[in-house]
Amino acid sequence: MRNLIAFLQRFRIFLVFAVLQILALTWYVTYLSFPRNQFLTTNNNIAVQFLEWEHDLTKHFNLSKNNSQLQWENIYWRKRQPQFMYQLSRSKVKVNDTIYEQQYTYIPAEVINSSIDRSNNYFTLNVGTAQGIKRGMGVFCQQGVVGVIHYASKHYSLVKTVLTKDINIDVSIHMKKTDLPGLLKWDGVDARYGMITGINNDLRIKKWSKVETRGGSGIFPKGIPVGKVSHTEPIEGQALWKVEIRFAADYRRLQRVYVIKNLHLAEQTALEARIPEDE
Amino acid sequence: MNVVYKHIIRFVVFAFLQALVFNQLNIGFGIHLMIQPLFIMLLPFELTVIPIMGIAFLMGLVIDIFSNTYGLNTSSLVLMAYLRPIVFKFYGPREGYDPLKEPTSQDMGSNWFTVVYGILLGLHTFWFFLLEIFEIGRLGFILQKTLLSGGLSFLLALLIQSFILNSKQKK
Repeated sequence: MRNLIAFLQRFRIFLVFAVLQILALTWYVTYLSFPRNQFLTTNNNIAVQFLEWEHDLTKHFNLSKNNSQLQWENIYWRKRQPQFMYQLSRSKVKVNDTIYEQQYTYIPAEVINSSIDRSNNYFTLNVGTAQGIKRGMGVFCQQGVVGVIHYASKHYSLVKTVLTKDINIDVSIHMKKTDLPGLLKWDGVDARYGMITGINNDLRIKKWSKVETRGGSGIFPKGIPVGKVSHTEPIEGQALWKVEIRFAADYRRLQRVYVIKNLHLAEQTALEARIPEDE
Repeated sequence: MNVVYKHIIRFVVFAFLQALVFNQLNIGFGIHLMIQPLFIMLLPFELTVIPIMGIAFLMGLVIDIFSNTYGLNTSSLVLMAYLRPIVFKFYGPREGYDPLKEPTSQDMGSNWFTVVYGILLGLHTFWFFLLEIFEIGRLGFILQKTLLSGGLSFLLALLIQSFILNSKQKK
């Protein structure tokens, strides 16, 4: 016993150091896989308040660019509105369309804190459960896909962006004849480039083919732009391509995003839960 | 001014500068400016290592909360606090440090500051990126990030020091 106490006294400093390191590293390792505690992120009330003040100051820096983007988007949709179109045949009657049903609804949000330089980048949004945000919803901006909600508190939420190492978004590469499904990944180096894994190398991939979301898991609708193929390379010893893509969105200047709410998600998951487990 | 108050004010100023200014700068090339190691460096000489580690833990916690890094900053700052007395002892004068002096480049000379802070900041930054990337196969990338971020953070630290130094001379 005396030996033990003597030992503890001799290594007191190292023990304190070890305990603090273990605390910090446990926090790091556990949070990346599943968020348990919202207090130790930007989602707690105090930190987010300061970040909002900071955002209030700096949000005007990109204002003109953001405004013109919104204007272009408005024009794009206005062109597709039937009431602004020239009617070719006056005799047509308006029919209440029952073929299409709304499946997705969108919640507008603003990014109040972001980073692109880390190997795991999270954005803070100014919407939360009060606006109907839940963990697992998709987030995109006008130019492209942004990420998935990682944690939502009452008025704020945290987005796990495509710029994190363990993100898996199902995407497909658009080719002339077929679409190639794959998974979107990021290697932690450059915020302009991502990767797609799981593409068989039996087909040649054209450079600058479009990459879009596939809409399989019900998080994103089909056809949200992700980027364009910028480089392909065979992986040694595997029948797969290493595909590098250039992201469509500029995450450095991202400010306004939309959160996707899938109205059919409950139905889809309930149905898919009936798939029998393979034993 | 009381030393304790001075360091409390420094804690707040450094934490907020890091969280609200330097974290928001996206320079590119993986450069990540960090000024919180300078705060640990500038703590007084007579403070023993356990309180320093406690302060470093708190500082890291605040920075981590603001930047969503979940313990990365905490871990690297605690490591730096643990190593600080060891490096100080190695490069210290034979008769020990003068308790009236501060570990700044003004009090201790720029040679001493460059060597000691360079080593501590280098280790801190290397540990940070090692944990963040966590792949031995990409050691070159880790070293590249460490050198770029560490170098620029060091220059920034010199700049901040000159501000502190100027404000002292006025008094």
